[in-house]
This record gives sequence, structure tokens and C-alpha cells, in this order.
Amino acid sequence: MNTLNKKLIIAFFSVLILGLIGLFTIHKATQSRVSNLPVISKVPDFQLDNFDGTSFTEKKLDNKITVASFIFTQCDGACPIMSTNIGILQRRFSESDELQFISITTDPDYDSKSVLQDFSDKYSGKDNWFFLRGDIGDVITLAEDGFFLSADLLPVGHSTRLVLIDHDRNIRKYYEGTVDANILELQYDIVTLIDQG
Amino acid sequence: MKKQLFFQSAVISTILSYLLIFVGGLVRVSGSGMGCPDWPRCFGRWIPPTNVDQIPSHIDPTSFNIVLAWIEYGNRSLGVIVGFSIIILNVIAIYYFRKELKLLVSAILSLILVGANGGLGALVVSSVLDPFLVSLHMILALILVSVLSYACIESYKGMHLEKFKDMEINRTLSNSLIVFWILIVIEILLGTGIRTNLELVSIENPLLSKGELLNTLDSYKYLHSVLGFSLLFLSIYIYLKLRYNKLYIAQFLGAFTLGMIIVQIFLGEMMIFFELPQLTRLFHTWGSSWLVGVIIILYNCISNEYAQ
Repeated sequence: MNTLNKKLIIAFFSVLILGLIGLFTIHKATQSRVSNLPVISKVPDFQLDNFDGTSFTEKKLDNKITVASFIFTQCDGACPIMSTNIGILQRRFSESDELQFISITTDPDYDSKSVLQDFSDKYSGKDNWFFLRGDIGDVITLAEDGFFLSADLLPVGHSTRLVLIDHDRNIRKYYEGTVDANILELQYDIVTLIDQG
Repeated sequence: MKKQLFFQSAVISTILSYLLIFVGGLVRVSGSGMGCPDWPRCFGRWIPPTNVDQIPSHIDPTSFNIVLAWIEYGNRSLGVIVGFSIIILNVIAIYYFRKELKLLVSAILSLILVGANGGLGALVVSSVLDPFLVSLHMILALILVSVLSYACIESYKGMHLEKFKDMEINRTLSNSLIVFWILIVIEILLGTGIRTNLELVSIENPLLSKGELLNTLDSYKYLHSVLGFSLLFLSIYIYLKLRYNKLYIAQFLGAFTLGMIIVQIFLGEMMIFFELPQLTRLFHTWGSSWLVGVIIILYNCISNEYAQ
């Protein structure tokens, strides 16, 4: 066998092996996106009021992908960043009717329906983002026992994490609502859930 | 003997750098770029965590995905290995070849480039994969393999002066190789531009399918195809001119160039008809990086100062 043939065979096997490694890695990466969204727990029953006066219960989460968060309108640290980020996601997914957002106030004394309405006007560009209020005791229970988020020293002590909930009311993952990298991660995970149906 | 040592070290550095470009491309197509949210460590560890309990409490574990973390860390580790192999090349160059400027400068330049590209990698992560920075990261890697390819061929020439002595000089061919190299670089920049724009559009429109994404691009995406097809004719010319060259490498690389252009056109069209399959993207990018280095070697083979 001459040297050219030998080199061609080496080249053939190198490309074949690299191709197989590439295929395997890409396959694993795609798979890992799904397996990285395990079911954490089911959102319990709750009843809160939307700012337009309608009632909002856990049943509204069925057959929708929901991004949930806790905020209050007078908060000047994390909440504006979180709400801006949610607004960006809302705009990017505006074509989808599978996705919705809920933001629950941790300061229901101040955040009346009309205050929440103003807050909605400021950040939300579509009617799939619900700003909810209810009895502070219910909100704390929901945050701590339903979403496993800290709710000490409210209103300021609310968690800044966003919660991804799937079509079947299952909590799938948490994201730091003020970190760009996590928002992008959330965006990819929403696409994964939409693709899964 | 010393030249042999430098040559071998340069060849190893070049091959490792090409492997690094492949792994870097793999990171991009598999979307693993944020597999490690910190830099240079991965979730605060020198060896990436294998499960979520190993992540230190001050680091948010939200984005932890063991597969993506290890893919990203593979790219960084190979980068470190390339760095070490280039340091060895520099030690050889400084020890034996202080007076041979071509070898010394190409060695030092490659060290600067690999260091700069490592630093740029940190910026890529901290910018959450800004598509411009990601592309710049790849372009710096292409410059690196160009410099290393130059170091390979120059040291090879130094070892085999007799092979190059009776080479006939062909100005037209030399010039067309220069033109070919410039056009390849432009072609790569156009391709990178398409990639960057697709990524920017896809971040803003996560629901678009890949086919719809392609349609959002302006007609300049056709420029990439047009230039690609015209490079085919130039590469046929180069192949025909080198077919009977006395130098075996020149013959071989001439054929390689033509073959690679055909493969690239095939892969490129496949990407349009089958909506950008990831593996095709990976090999399309990687193949173009080979052309950059190969043309540099070819040019230095046939246009050399030792020829009569």
C-alpha cells in the first residue's frame, strides 16, 4: 500500500470517528435538555384575585406553560429587573398562546387592584400576564409550601426566583429572575416544553 | 535535528488546534456555551461537578446540566493543552532559533494568539454568548492555525532545502493562491455573519423554525453561495496547475483544496435543504478552517526564496 492510500484511510477514519463523537455529543446535549427538567412537585390548590377583579385559581394553570414570580410594586431592587425580564420573554413568545405569566404581590396592603393595573400597564404588553393578590397569609403559604420559596420579612424578603410550571401544573425548574444567563436558560426550557407538547 | 524538533512540535500544535476548533464548534452547535457559568472554573470547581450536590452554596445551581458542563469544559481543557504545546514550541524556538526570525516570530505570535483567545473565551461566557464575541473567538482561532501552519511549512522547508531548490516559480499561481486565501477569509466572514444573524434572530424569536429563520435573512446570504461556487472554479485552476508539480505535498494539497471546496458546497446546500442539521454545521465550519491553513502551506511551498 502506498503512502497516499494509507493517509487517505487515516483521514477517512479520523473524520468518521470525529463525526460519530460529534453526533453522540449533540444527541446527549439534546437529551440532557429534557432530562434536566424533572418534575419537582405539583402546585397545590390556591385562590387569588387578578387585578381585573376575576378570580384566579390553580385550574387556570392547566394546559398552559406558566412562569410564576413573587413581586411587589414598591420594590425598587430586584422586581423591576425581574418584571422587565418577564416582559422580554412575553414579547419573544407573543405568538404562542400556550404560555402565560403570573406575578403574585407580597404586599397586598399597598398593591390594590388599581396599583397592580398600573404596574401591568408599565411592564406587560399582552393579556397573558396576571398580577395576583390575596390574603398575605395565603400568599406566604403558597410561596413556602407550594413553591418552596422563602417568604420571610415580607414584602422585601420575597424570593427573586422565577418558577417554570408545565401543562400539568408540575413545577419543573427555578431561575434567578435577575440573571440574564438564567433568563436565556428559561427561554430554551420553554421552547423544550412547547416542543414536547 | 533541531529543525526536526521544531517541525514536529509545530505539527502537533497545529493538529491540536484544529481539534480544538472542532470541539469549539461542537460547543456552539450543541448549545453548551453556558455549560459552565463561571470562568476559568466550572461551578467553582477545577473538575466540573458530576452532580448538583457538589456545587458550592454561593453559586446558583439553576443552570447546572452535567452534559453541557462537560462539553464546555472539554473545550477549555483542550485549549489548555494547546496552550502547553505552544509553550513547548516557544521554548524550542527561543532555545535554538533566536536568529531565525520566521520561526521565532510565528512561535511567539501563536502563543500570544492562544492566550488572547483564552481570555476572549472568558468574555464569551461573561457576555452570555454574545454572538459577535463567539464569532470573534472562532476567527482568532483561524488566525492561530494560519500562523501555526506557517510555522510548520517554514520549518519543513528548512529541513528539506533540496526539495525546494529546483522549484519553478509561477507568479500567476502564487498570486491566485493569495486571491484564493483572501476570498476564503471573506467567505468565512460571510458565513460567520449568517450564523451570527441567525443566532440574534433566534434569541428574539424563539418560536421560529430553522427554515423560517433562514428566510428572515437578507439576500446577502446568497452572496455566500455565489462566492462558494466561484471558489470552485478557482480551486479547479489551482488543482490543474499543481497536478504535476514536482513537490508531492503541493500535488496532494492542490487536490485536497479542490476536494474540500466540493465537500463544503455539498454541506452548505444540505444545510439549506435540511434546515441546518447540527452535525453538518459543525463540519462545514471545520472544513473551512482547514482550507485557511492549507492555502498558507501551499503558497509557502511554491513561492519560496530558495527556488532558482
